[in-house]
Order: sequence, then C-alpha cells, then structure tokens
Amino acid sequence: MTAIQHFRALYRLTLPSLHSAWREWLSEDAPVIGYMLKVLLACLLAMWLSLRFELDQPRTAMLTVAIVMQSRSGMVFAKSYYRLIGTLVGVVVSFILVALFAQERVPFLLYMALWIGLCTAGSMIYRNHQSYAFVLAGYTLCIVGLPATLAPGQTFNIGITRISEILIGLFSATLVSDLILPQRMWNMMLDSVRRRFSDFSDLLRTAAVNSAMIPASEPALLRFIGDIFRLETFRASAVMENDASRQNRLRLSQMNNEFMQVSTSFHAFEQLLKRQSKHGRLDISEALLGIYRQLTDSITVDGRSARNEQEALLVSKQLSAYRNSFVQTVANARRKIAGTRSDQDSIEFDTGIELLERLTDELYIYAKTYSSFAASKSQQMIASLHKQAPRQEMHFDTLAVALAGFRGALALAILSVVWIFTDWRSGIEAITLGVITSTLFATSPSPGHTVKQFFIGAVLGTILAYFCNFHWLTHAQGFLMLAIAVSPGIMLAAWLTTRPATAIIGSGMFMVYLMHIGFNSTYSANPVTFMNDAIADLLAVFLSGVLFSLIDLSNSRWSKLRTAQSLRQLVVAACRETLPFRRARLESAARELVQRAGSAQRIAEEQDQPIVDWLLSTLEIGHAVIALREHLQELNDSTIPAPMLRCLDAIANLYDDPTAAHRNDAINSIDSAMQHLSSDAMRLVLMQSTRHKLMTMLHFIHSALLDDESVLSANAIKQMEFH
Amino acid sequence: MPREIALFDALVPTLLFAFIAAGSGSLLLDWAFTRYDIYRHIWYPALFRLSLFSCLFAACGLWIY
Repeated sequence: MTAIQHFRALYRLTLPSLHSAWREWLSEDAPVIGYMLKVLLACLLAMWLSLRFELDQPRTAMLTVAIVMQSRSGMVFAKSYYRLIGTLVGVVVSFILVALFAQERVPFLLYMALWIGLCTAGSMIYRNHQSYAFVLAGYTLCIVGLPATLAPGQTFNIGITRISEILIGLFSATLVSDLILPQRMWNMMLDSVRRRFSDFSDLLRTAAVNSAMIPASEPALLRFIGDIFRLETFRASAVMENDASRQNRLRLSQMNNEFMQVSTSFHAFEQLLKRQSKHGRLDISEALLGIYRQLTDSITVDGRSARNEQEALLVSKQLSAYRNSFVQTVANARRKIAGTRSDQDSIEFDTGIELLERLTDELYIYAKTYSSFAASKSQQMIASLHKQAPRQEMHFDTLAVALAGFRGALALAILSVVWIFTDWRSGIEAITLGVITSTLFATSPSPGHTVKQFFIGAVLGTILAYFCNFHWLTHAQGFLMLAIAVSPGIMLAAWLTTRPATAIIGSGMFMVYLMHIGFNSTYSANPVTFMNDAIADLLAVFLSGVLFSLIDLSNSRWSKLRTAQSLRQLVVAACRETLPFRRARLESAARELVQRAGSAQRIAEEQDQPIVDWLLSTLEIGHAVIALREHLQELNDSTIPAPMLRCLDAIANLYDDPTAAHRNDAINSIDSAMQHLSSDAMRLVLMQSTRHKLMTMLHFIHSALLDDESVLSANAIKQMEFH
Repeated sequence: MPREIALFDALVPTLLFAFIAAGSGSLLLDWAFTRYDIYRHIWYPALFRLSLFSCLFAACGLWIY
C-alpha cells in the first residue's frame, strides 16, 4: 500500500467519529460559547455607550445586561420590559418619598420598609418576570432613594441617570440577542410539547404492558407538573417574541389545561385497576385492561409513541376510530364476563368503563389540539379565533406572602439601623444588596440554599473584582484595553450561569463583580473603599441568608401541613360552592399549590411525600366530585335525591377535618346514597343513564376512601390525629 | 422645532419623544407584518426590524433638526 492509500483508509476510519464529535460539539458546546460571546458583546456595547454618553455609572448598564441576558431572545425581551417597568415605578416612588420626608429619616425608612414589604408580597403573588418587576420596584428605592436622602437636590438627576443607564443596558441586551445568533423560543417550546406527548404516551403504553399492580406513574406525574409550569413561563414570555410562539400562545395554554385533565384521569383509572386487583376482582380488571390495551394500541404509531405533530394527527384519527367502536368493544367485553358477575362486580366494571371513556375523550381532545400545530398557518388563525384562552388564576398561600413581605422589610430595618447608629460608610451598599438578596430569592423553591450559592458567587466576584481593579485596570489605556481588563470576569460569570447547577453562583458573581468594578467615567478604584464595600456586601448577603433560615416557610413541617390543608380545601370548595367549580380550576390550583411549596422539585425527599399523596388524592376525589355535581345539575332541583347532597356534605367534612368519625360518616353516607339510587322508586324517577353515571362516580369515591394505601385510609388518619 | 421640551417643568430632549414615536410606529408595523405574514419574504427579520426602526427614528430626527 502506498502512503496515499494508508491515508485514505485512516480517513475513512476516523471520519464518522470526527463527524459525530463535531455534531455533538455543535449541539452541546457551541450554544454555550455563543451565549458567552453574546453576553460579553452586549456588556461591552453597554459600557461603550454609557462612557460615550458620559453617564455616571457604566456599571449599572452592564449590570442590567448581566441580569436580563438569557439564552432565548423572547425571554430577554420579556425580562427587559418588566425591568423597565419596575425601575420606572421604583424611581417615581423614590421621588415621592424624598419629596415628602427628605429631612425625617424615621418616617422615610418606615415608608420605605412598607413599600419594600408590599413589593415583595406582590412578587410572591405574581409569576415569572412580573414577579421580578415587583422586586425591582422595591429595591430601586434603595438605589435611588437612599443616596438621594444625602443630597436631596440631586434626586432627580440620580433617578434620571439610573433610568438612562438601565435603558442603555436593555437596548444593548435586546439588540445583541435579537440580531446575533437569535435563539427563538418556538423551537424549544415545540420540543417540550413533543417530548411531553411522547413521554405521556410511553407512560400509558407501559401501564398496559405491566400488570396494574405496580403503579409507576407517580414520579412521572410529578415531573409533568414541573413541565406544565415551565411551559407556562415560556408562554408568558412569548408575547414579546416574533415567531410562531406568539401566534400559538392560546393553543399552548389550552393544551396545558387539557394535559392536566388527561393526566388526572389516567391516574384515577390506574388507581381503580390497582384497587380492583387488590380486592381479588382479577377478571374485571383483566377485562378493563383488555379494553385499555386497545386504547394504547391506537396511540401507537409504528410500534412507538408519536414523536411529532404529523404522527399525532394519525393518533388522533386512530383515537377517533377507537371512540366510535367503544360501545361495541364494551358490549363484547361485558358479554365475556357476563357469566360470573354479581351486582357488585357489574358496578366495578361500569366504573372502570366510565373512567376509561373519560380518559379516551380527554386524550382525544389533547391529541387533536397538539396535532393542530401541524395544520397550515391560515387554518390555525381561524381555529384560534374561535376559542377563548382559559384564564390562569393565581393560587397562593397568604401567610407565605405576608411573611416574605415582612422579611424584606426586616432586612431593610436591621441594615438601616446598623447604618445610622454606626455611621457605616458603606451602609447604602450593604442595604441595597441586602434588600436585593432577601427579596429576590423569596420565590425560589429553597431560598436558604439559593442564598448560600449566591454568597459563594459573591465571594468569587469580590476576588475577581480585586484583581481586575488593582492589577489589570491600572494598566489599561483606552477602550480596548479596558474591555480586555473587564472581560475575564464577565466570561467566567456568563459561563457559570449557563449551567443549571452553578447558575446562582454565576449570577451572584456577576452582580458583585460589576458592582465593584473600579471605574466610572475615569479610573476610580480605591483599596480602602473597595475593602469596605466588599465587607459590607458579604455581610449583607450573610444577613439575608440568616433571615431566610429564620423566616422560611418552604421547608418546615408546619408549612407542609398548611399546603396539605389548602389542597384539601379545594375538594371542600368543589363540594360546597354553589357555583359549579370548574375542572380546569381544580387542576391548575392544586398543581400550583404544590409547585409553589416546592415539593414537586423535591419528590425524592421523604418528608414531601405526604403533600404528593394529598395532591393525588385531591385531584382524584375532586375530579370525581365535580363529575358527580355535573350529573346532578342535569336533573331538576326537586328531583335531586337528598342522600346525594348529604354525601357531598360528608365528603366536604372529611376533607375539611380528616378524622376517623368523618371518614366513617362519609363512607356510610355514600353507601346509603347508593342504596337509595338503586331502590325501585329512584329507578322510576331518574333516567337510566343518569342513574348509572351517578352510581359509578359514587362507587369510585367509595373505593378511593376504602383504599388502605391512600392518605385517607384508617391508619393514615389515626396517625394524623396522633400528631 | 425646539430641541428641548418642558415636561412637568423638566427639560426633556425632543429626540426622546421622537424615539418613543419611532418605537411605537415600528411596533405597529411589526404587528401588521406578522399579521399578514410579510416576514416570510424577508431573509433576516430581526435585522429588518432594526433597520426599519433606525429609518423611522432618523426621519424623525431630521424633521426636528
């Protein structure tokens, strides 16, 4: 062989691996590097512009860039918009406070604390970027209002400068992220929608293969909760985006709601099968599984789950065919088990069929909405005009909100008392960062941990700022050298923020590094001031860490009991409210409560298990109660049998105050309602189909209450009473 | 045109209003373009939007000065 042939053979051997390595690099590392370069570019652009306009503090513009930069363009727009609004409100309030109380420090600080408390509470109520706007409106008061008290004449200038700097930062950030390698949100959203559909189909299909003895759906259902809210965040940011995501916003939120319903129905069906096989009704659960397997066959495309909209279109067609032949299939199955069954067996079977029918209908609607993404644009427009988006409501714990507000105000109070009484030089610096950290992280799932990470970031940022200020900046001549001197810190922090595990460390580093950076319009670093400020900052972050560990609702046993309580109240409301409780409201309210409590993120931890159990029980019983009330509504008021109403009342009592007595009462009242329904008198009054539906729902609730693995089992209730 | 306008007794550059006007104008156009799917014919919509805004803003600026 000649050398050339050797080379060719080598080339042929290494080419595929090189190719795959290149592709892996393109999909994994290249976006990270691209993002880092974008952050750097936007920061430098902001710095250059503010220097060019001779603004006082280029660092504010750079800090703004660091805060709003995210990998997706749409998110950057949304966050920029809310940062602007928050800043404007904060500046206006600062003006008002300075105008009213410039000479009186006590009322000034009192009202400031009140405002910050209110804003923090607002940030707990609202979600996503809106919540950030509230935090910002609060802490802008520290940045503008506090320096203004020292020089009231300068207030207006300070405020206007702050707004200009932030505008420059926002301008650079949005410009760079929109123009250079824009990352559109639509692709990501479509990806997550697709993944969710195929994951859910997988779940349905494995449930058909496994025997129903091992319900594997619990962790999956919890994972979906996180998914639902993540998609909701994307959807909220998509208003500002310019691609398909803006047009599909309605459809996405509709799909989220449909998905919640279908996953609850699936869980209910699975629970029913589990209970039936535990009580030895194997023939019935086998028959139900048989029908269910046909359902899973119809969501299968080429032996796997649907991966995109085109395949989902096929699935929805298959599901429609399955729905049409459903009655026939059920009749066949009923005939097969006809020989052995008693009355009890037949109601078990009918309950299963009822749930299965519900599951099928919901799955069909969900698949249909999903597959409509594949339709052409003009058709989409027409379709979306007809449907109203389901309204998203806020569900929160008032006490948690109040405590968060109190914590923010307390951080301000402690730091400003120390500032005034010790005549602390860096007091304002400390107050600002203290208030930022103690309000910004109030919404994170475990604030204590978040603040700890932020502290690490702050230490790293301080060290970097030291090197930058006193070693590199001193040699810098001209803009280019300045840019080179500040770049390493920016790049490092940007890199840290790209990885989920170190994202908070990165943002802490960014903030502290840029706050300390030693130039305004000229070089102005001073070792003594730097040291003072650095110590002040670290102390402030430490203080807010202490406050979070003292006043933290998210991790205590007590707060879990409260969350469980509010979950149960949903069922109570579903039973008692005079207006029919909407299904979508129950689904999103229950999930949001769990999401806010942070339990969905910590499923693995044992102490969060009770909340998860309560969530599933709430959804299961709540959905049955709502179905029951829907059927009751179809009747005239006079004919609604009184035992049914007593039943609803007993269930509400049980969920209001779970005791053994209430449990027995609920079970007994359901028993008597079922007896009443099957009496001859009722057979004459009620239509066959209505009676049938009422019976199956009652039976479902009955068997759920009797389940000895649920949170409402006799043992579990005994334990709760014991505590 | 005056270079500065008194807004609640604070002197504000007229260019700021031009900026706001150009911004809202381009948002309006952007909405229309998205609605009638005109961006399909444009190679780089983001760049197009920026250029459109620059043109509007520059036109307003020329009118003021």
